[in-house]
Amino acid sequence: MAKKNNQKVMKNLKKKLKKDIIDIVQPRENRIYMRVKPEKAPGIVEYLFSKYKCKLCTASGMDMREGIEIIYHLAKEDENMIINVKTLIPYSKLEIESIGKKIKAFRWIEREINEMLGVKFKGHPDMRRLLLADSFPKGKYPLRKNFKNSDVTDEDYDYERSGI
Amino acid sequence: MDILKKSFKKSIWVFHLSTAACNNCDIEVLELLTPKYDVERFGIKLVGSPRHADALLVCGSVNAHAKPRFLEVYRQTPKPCLVVAFGSCGCSSGIFRDSYSIVGPVDKVLKEEDPDAKIVYIPGCPPKPEAMIEGIVKGLEAV
Repeated sequence: MAKKNNQKVMKNLKKKLKKDIIDIVQPRENRIYMRVKPEKAPGIVEYLFSKYKCKLCTASGMDMREGIEIIYHLAKEDENMIINVKTLIPYSKLEIESIGKKIKAFRWIEREINEMLGVKFKGHPDMRRLLLADSFPKGKYPLRKNFKNSDVTDEDYDYERSGI
Repeated sequence: MDILKKSFKKSIWVFHLSTAACNNCDIEVLELLTPKYDVERFGIKLVGSPRHADALLVCGSVNAHAKPRFLEVYRQTPKPCLVVAFGSCGCSSGIFRDSYSIVGPVDKVLKEEDPDAKIVYIPGCPPKPEAMIEGIVKGLEAV
């Protein structure tokens, strides 16, 4: 029963999003991975979230050396499935359209990816620091592969910004 | 030396401050107040404001966010005061030593503000209640 539904979801997605996605696979019956271009990703995630009634689990950012990969994890609860939308943003142009400007649920995770990996989210309404200290030097991104702990020394911190 | 002896002669009041601790030490501090160890019989008491305190109990490896706040609390504590670097993290930043947001253990941060600060180290993850009591006693003997 569940298996049949899951194939239906796959078929639906293929039909609706055919021209936008690079590839789509279903390694397990309750999991779908799709790889898309960074320009198309926000539109697809918005479609999945608003029209296709998926829920946002989280988004994750990862430094893949050739670029930064963002994976949006979306749960299709009534079909018991998880849909992952992967997009690789190249280092030469580290920016992507913000989903947070329309859907509030994405705002915090976009702020976190912005400060930890340095991806710029265009049109995000509130891009303050979320996890890092306010005094942490600007332009240093601690979760990138080429970040070394010695890149940030005591002199780099600007305690004026911490508001004490 | 006279003023030191005079100021630490009576009951020690302690202000408990957490500077990016993992909460384990904070929980163990409360154990000192339970009937088994009951430090209040020695007059050691947790107070709600650093302005009432004789000693600061600092848990946790100090990170960049906590550093200015910790130093502000230290400035508000009446001097002379005793600073207790509590737990492995307080003594040496512990396992968080090489993390990107850590600016150093308690003594390193404090020496920038006040080179003459009196610091007691109580290592352990978390320290045993007996060790905590002994640490405070040793600190008092030293001043």
